[in-house]
Amino acid sequence: MATYVLQRLLISIPVLLGVLLIGFLLLQVVPSDPVELLAGPEATQEVRDSIRKDLGLDRPLYVQFGSYLVRVLQGDLGRSLISNRSVAEELWLAIPPTVELTFMAMLWAIPGGLALGTWAAIRRGQWVDRLVMALSVTGISVPVFFLGLMLIRYVGFEWQALPFVGRPGPLYTWEGLVGIILPAITLGGVLVGPIARMTRTTTLEVLRADYVRTARAKGVREGRVVLAHVLRTALIPIVTLIGLQAAFLLGGAVVTETLFAWPGLGQLAVGAILSRDFPLAQGAIMILALAFILINLSVDVLYTRLDPRVRRR
Amino acid sequence: MNWKQTIAGLVLGMGMALPGVASGQTLTVLRTVDSFSYDPQRATAAAASEIAFLLGDTLVALDFDMKTIKPLLAKSWTVSPDGKTYTFELRDDVSFCSGKKMTSEDVVYTFNRMLDTENKKPSAQKMGKVKSITAAGPTRIVYELNEPYNELLYTLTLMHGTILNKENVDALGKDFGIKGVDGTGPFCWESWTPRTEMTLKRHAAYKWGPPIYANKGPAKVEKIVWKMVPEDASRMAAVMSGQGDLTYAVPLWSVAELKKAPNVAITAPANYFRTCFIGNKITRDLMKDIEVRKAMNLAVNREDIAKQIFFGNAIPAPAYLHPGTPDFAASTQNTPLGKYNPAEAKKLLDAAGWKAGSDGMREKNGVRLSPVLFILNSGSNPQMATAVQGYMRQVGIDLKIEAFDATAYFTKIATQEFDMFLLCNPYASAGDVLNVYWRSQNRPIPNRMNWIDAETDGWLDAGLQASDPKVRAENYAKVQEKIVANALWVPLVHDMVFVAASKKVKNVKPHATFTSLLYKGLDVSF
Repeated sequence: MATYVLQRLLISIPVLLGVLLIGFLLLQVVPSDPVELLAGPEATQEVRDSIRKDLGLDRPLYVQFGSYLVRVLQGDLGRSLISNRSVAEELWLAIPPTVELTFMAMLWAIPGGLALGTWAAIRRGQWVDRLVMALSVTGISVPVFFLGLMLIRYVGFEWQALPFVGRPGPLYTWEGLVGIILPAITLGGVLVGPIARMTRTTTLEVLRADYVRTARAKGVREGRVVLAHVLRTALIPIVTLIGLQAAFLLGGAVVTETLFAWPGLGQLAVGAILSRDFPLAQGAIMILALAFILINLSVDVLYTRLDPRVRRR
Repeated sequence: MNWKQTIAGLVLGMGMALPGVASGQTLTVLRTVDSFSYDPQRATAAAASEIAFLLGDTLVALDFDMKTIKPLLAKSWTVSPDGKTYTFELRDDVSFCSGKKMTSEDVVYTFNRMLDTENKKPSAQKMGKVKSITAAGPTRIVYELNEPYNELLYTLTLMHGTILNKENVDALGKDFGIKGVDGTGPFCWESWTPRTEMTLKRHAAYKWGPPIYANKGPAKVEKIVWKMVPEDASRMAAVMSGQGDLTYAVPLWSVAELKKAPNVAITAPANYFRTCFIGNKITRDLMKDIEVRKAMNLAVNREDIAKQIFFGNAIPAPAYLHPGTPDFAASTQNTPLGKYNPAEAKKLLDAAGWKAGSDGMREKNGVRLSPVLFILNSGSNPQMATAVQGYMRQVGIDLKIEAFDATAYFTKIATQEFDMFLLCNPYASAGDVLNVYWRSQNRPIPNRMNWIDAETDGWLDAGLQASDPKVRAENYAKVQEKIVANALWVPLVHDMVFVAASKKVKNVKPHATFTSLLYKGLDVSF
C-alpha cells in the first residue's frame, strides 16, 4: 500500500507542473491588467510603464513563467503582484477558513444524506420515500445563495439567533463554532440532495442482492442487515461522489463565502484570477490541484478498505 | 429591480424594529472591498483612503464644505506673491503612534518619496511642478514650485499627502502599508487580515484634530473594526440587526427601506460631487461627427435615468459638473444639448446625412451608425447603459454595449478599441476634474476622449496658475463651455452616497472627501 501511495504522489508532480503551465497560459487570456489596479484610473502612461517594469511584466512571457517556475521549485511561491504580500502568507490565511467550512458542511451533510437515502430506500414507494426524494430534489434545485439568504433573513436577522457576518474566529473557539453554523448549513445543503439520491439508488440495488436475502433468512436483525451488509457495499459510488464534492467545495464555495463574508480560498482564487495576479492565482490553483490529487488518492485508498476485491487487484 | 434585488428586498422588509447588539466602544464598519495596500502613496482607491485618513494626517485639512482649507499638521502657511513658494509652519506637539515626534524631516522625506522618479507614484502629478521641498528648521517647510499651482493646498489634503514616519517606512520596506503604518492620525494600526478585517485602535496622545470637529482628540471610540461584507443584502441586514454599526456602501435600492427602519439613520454628505457620464472617443470614425455627438446628448432622458435607475437618489446632469462644484460654469447648466429632445436629435442626424435603413437604424455612405460603448459591469452601470441603448435606438443609433469586470475595465478603456465609455467619477472642484481629463498631454489616459486643443490647454494653465480666484473661475468656465459645445461627453446623472448607521452611533457627519465619509471620525461616539 505504501508503494502504491508513493507512486501516486510521484505521478502528481508532473500533474502539478502541467496545472501551473496551463494556469499561467489561461491567465494570459484574462482581459485584465494588475498595472491598472495599482495605477488607478487617473495615472498617466509614464506611471503605468514604470509600474509594469517594477512588476517585471515587461519581460517576455516565457521568461516570466521560467523565473516563476525556478522559484517554485526552490519552495518560494513569490509575492502577490497587487498587494506585494507573500503568496504563502496569503494562502495560509485563506486555507484554514475554507477547510473548516468544507469540513463542517460535510460533517452534517454526509450523515444526513446517507441517513435520508437509506431511509428512503428501505421505505421504497411509501410517503417517506416520496418526501425524502422531494426534499433532495429541492436541495439540488435551490440555488445556494437563496438558501443562504433565507437563513440570513430568518435565523440571523429576524430571530437574531446566529451571527452571519464573517468568520469570528477559528473553529476551536466558541465564537468560531457559532459563527460557522449558518455558512456550513448553507454549503452542506448543496451536498445533502445528491448524497441522499445516490444512497437511495445504490442501496435499492444492494437490498435486492442474494446475500442480503440470505442474511435476512438467517435471522439477522434488519438494522444490522442494513448497516453492516447493505450500506457497506453501497458506499463505493457514494464515497466517489463525496470525494469529488469535497474537492469541488474547497474551491467552489465562492457564493457561500461571499454571502457570509467568509474569507476563504475560493474568493482568493477568483479575485487573483480576475486581477491577473499570477503568482497568487498560481498559488491558489496549485493548492486546489493538490487538494484534488490528495482527495482522489484518499478515495482510492478508502476503496481498498471498503471492497476487498480492489485490495486484491 | 432584478430578481436578486427582489430577494434582498424581502430580507430587508422583515423585522425592522429589532434591537441591535451592543458594540461597547468598538465601532464596527462594514465595507465591500479591501485595499491591496495601505501605503497612502501607492494606493489610489477609496478603500485605502477611508483608512489612511484615520491612520495619518495631512499638512492641511478640507472642511465639510469641500472648499475651505483648515490647519492640521501645519498650524499656518503663507504663499509668496508669485504663487510659487508655500511656507508651512508645523505644530511642534505631534507624534506618531510609535511615540516618535513628528518633525519637518518627516514631511520632506514624505514628499520626496512621493516625487521619486525611480519609483513613480500614481498621484505624483498632483504635487505640482516641484523645484524643491526643504526643511527650514524643525517646524518649517518651504515648498518651492517652478510655476504657480493653486490646487496645491487642496491636493495636500488628499490621501497621498499623509505624512509618513521615515524610520517606519525604512524598517518595513516592501511591507510598508501591508504589515503596518505608523501615522500621526487619530487611530493606530492594530491588525489587518486582507479581504477580511482591519482593526484600528485609538491614538491616545492625539490632540491635533482639525478645527472642523468639536473634539480635537483623542477619538471617542476606542476601536474601529472594518469588516468586509461584499454581499449587499447581508451587509444591510447586518447593520439593521446590530451585527455592524455603520456602512458607507448602501445600495440605492435599499435607501427607501432603510429610511423606514426605526433603528437605522441614513445620512448623505453635503457637497459630494460624482458624475456618471459617457465619454466620446472623438478620434474614432463614428464619433468624429459632432452632429452625432450632439444627437446623442439630445436623445438621452436624464430625468428618467435618475428616477428609474437611481430610485430618485441622483440628480439629472445636463452639464458636465455638479452645479455646486467650485468654479462650475453656470452657463453650461441650461444648454439645449442638456435637454431631452429626440425629435431634434433626429433632425440633426438627418441633416448630417445619416439616413434610416430598413430596420430603422441609420447609416451614411454604407457605414452603419453603430458605436461601441464599453462599460463596467457593476453598480448601476449596466442599467444606465441599457437605458441609453434604448434612447439611442429611438433616434436610429444602434449602440452596442460591451461590459467588463472591474479588473478588466480600466485596461480596456486604456485602448483605442471603443467609441464610447461609461464612467462615474468623483471630484472636488472644476480644476480637479478638468486638469485630469481635458489636457492634451493626458491622452490616451485619462484623456480618453483624445481631445487635443491648444486653447483648452492654455485656459487650464491659466486657471491652474491664477492667484485670483475670479481669474481661475473665468478660465475654467471657458474650458467647460468649449467641451460642452463640442459634445465630448454625454453627461447622465450626478449620483449620491449614503451612510447607514445604527442610531446608537452618535454624531455621524459624513465628509465628502474621496468617499472617505468617516474622515477623522473624532466626534463619533456611542
